[in-house]
Amino acid sequence: MAELGPAAPAALSAQVTAFAARLRDRHVFLIGPGEVQTALEALGMVDVLSRREVRAALRSVLAASPEQVRVFDLEFNAFFRTDGHSAPRLPPLLPETPAPAAPGPGGEAGEPGEAAGPPEPGAPAPQATPGEQPGEPGGPPQGQETGDPDSNDHDADAPVIRTQLSPNAAPGAAVHAGEGDLAQLLRAASDLIRALELGRARRLRPMPRGSKLDARRTLHAAARTAGDAVTLRWLGRPRRAPRFLLVLDGSRSMGRDATLLLRFAQALHLRSRRVEVFAFSTGLLRLTPLLRRAAPGQPLDLPDLGVAWGGGTRIGENLLRLARDERGRVDRHTVILILSDGLDTGDPALVARALRDLRRRAAGVVWLSPLAATPGYRPVQRAIAAALPFLDALLPAGGADDLHRLGRRLRAARRAGPTGRGG
Amino acid sequence: MIPSVNELQLAFQARGYVAGDALATSLRLVVGLGRPLLLEGPAGVGKTEAAKTLAAALGTRLIRLQCYEGLDAQAALYEWNYARQLLHLRAAELRGEGLSDEDLYGEQFLMPRPLLQAIQEPQSAVLLIDEIDRADDAFEAFLLELLAEWQITVPELGTLSAVSRPHVILTSNRSRELSDALRRRCLYHWTEYPTRAQELQIVHSRLPGINETLARQVTDAVHALRALPLGKTPGVAETLDWAAALMTLHADHLDAAALQATLGAVLKLREDQLLAAPTLQAVAAQAQSRG
Repeated sequence: MAELGPAAPAALSAQVTAFAARLRDRHVFLIGPGEVQTALEALGMVDVLSRREVRAALRSVLAASPEQVRVFDLEFNAFFRTDGHSAPRLPPLLPETPAPAAPGPGGEAGEPGEAAGPPEPGAPAPQATPGEQPGEPGGPPQGQETGDPDSNDHDADAPVIRTQLSPNAAPGAAVHAGEGDLAQLLRAASDLIRALELGRARRLRPMPRGSKLDARRTLHAAARTAGDAVTLRWLGRPRRAPRFLLVLDGSRSMGRDATLLLRFAQALHLRSRRVEVFAFSTGLLRLTPLLRRAAPGQPLDLPDLGVAWGGGTRIGENLLRLARDERGRVDRHTVILILSDGLDTGDPALVARALRDLRRRAAGVVWLSPLAATPGYRPVQRAIAAALPFLDALLPAGGADDLHRLGRRLRAARRAGPTGRGG
Repeated sequence: MIPSVNELQLAFQARGYVAGDALATSLRLVVGLGRPLLLEGPAGVGKTEAAKTLAAALGTRLIRLQCYEGLDAQAALYEWNYARQLLHLRAAELRGEGLSDEDLYGEQFLMPRPLLQAIQEPQSAVLLIDEIDRADDAFEAFLLELLAEWQITVPELGTLSAVSRPHVILTSNRSRELSDALRRRCLYHWTEYPTRAQELQIVHSRLPGINETLARQVTDAVHALRALPLGKTPGVAETLDWAAALMTLHADHLDAAALQATLGAVLKLREDQLLAAPTLQAVAAQAQSRG
């Protein structure tokens, strides 16, 4: 590679510093002087004439998550281009500018990466979404190292472009949820957390008072008093604090309800750190890092969510992907909230399969439907009908009032027993 | 002497582990820079195995700390052998001897747990902190200090500094989001499933007696399965189990009967077996026509 060849140390240092600054400023990587110094030390330990080793070394030091790895590879290929062309501008990992309005019918495109509409063919692509699967058309090449193969070197952003131009892709859109009802939603979130009583943990923990004598700690304490057990120690079962996994349907049919539910997800996230939020439309995207970085009290602006927002609905496929790829996030402390109208064109058998799997591992699965708030509603949509046997409750979510009553309704539903259990 | 990236790859290959450039570079930096490495990736891609192989390649000891919910610093660092202490105390009382704190809190009563073992090891050991995402936030925070200072304070004995700094590898399945603080202290590597060619190489190196046709067919079939929306995607371990099962049944190629008999080695959920049935039939038919 030309730039990282037998360069003078000062030039090399300047390039790595500039590259690190680019990752930090445009993509909010947590990179400080310490990381830059470590990156330079790392380059001293590999063959700087080998592009692959240089990239692997810098990636090990500067990237810290799969999402960052993907952005790193695109930026590395853009920054250290070998063909002499100027580097294309890549969109940031987090928004640098206020999210634009929804794309107009003309799909007006401004500066690539800041445009609201779908990218023009051949334009630099936005970042890949985590919903892409390795091996799928448009996904990163399968390999032991993501993005490592040299085939990716000269056209690193092509897979992303292919994904965006796929006939099945959602148009994607930036999300702006600016209504100032956060205080009310926070109250609703608190009510929901209080309403969930998951019982006591099975595991015994040291507690000031408990049901069982902690022999080990009692003996430990006794060793300090010549073997006489003066102070007794106890083990008890602490209350199980719930985790939440919110799966939000961001498809076109959800309309304004999706934004309300997204704000509710943000409120729940502000009330508890044990909340994971995913959105799906034709693809699935984890929103938790975006919500974590959103400033409380400010309008919620999210960048282009790609396949996870504003497109068609594939409930079964995405729930199945969630059950498979994110299974570690679901345990017996987790309550899954699916926020969807259930209008789906996909295979309902996939919905049943995914929910059976999730229901087995979670503390409960609750479906919140905006349609269920309609008088005379009957759960006849194919996805809802398939899901019903595996739900603890199907509750309405037609507006802020429904969200306020959610805790109470959920408590009542849990007292009444599940709507059915799948085997 | 720190091995180069190429030397590490060869050492791994000799032990049946096919390490790509990026993983080998990261491991080279672990040894060279003395920084911990956080390995993430789907289950079954060989994260734990990478640490074991590194220990074997460096000719050093592997010390493993398996994390779980509720793991506390006490269980990971050291414990006092209370029963022995009490016996010692009673025996001294019977002999009419007095005991001081130093008699009771000597090193002979200290039971080192993995973290203490790792810093007491004379030659740098490979310390595998497996599934760190299963441990609580509090344990993760405790680990930050240890990874920064490489010393442990035992109140009764004082501060024990590392004799040699271990090569630390942390693995995570992403069941919980790890803190930025931990990530910043670690090098990072995301491990994916191997490519078809790499997996074929793994099969050959782990099962040297395998028939070439069978190895290729099993690898192809596993890659076809990974493209399906399965509940439990087969990892490299399943590929090896499946190939070994077929070899045990003396199959030299994959046909419908052999596939049916050994399906449980690769697909562990009934729903997955049903979902994959058409794909597997196609694989068997293709194998039959080529065979």
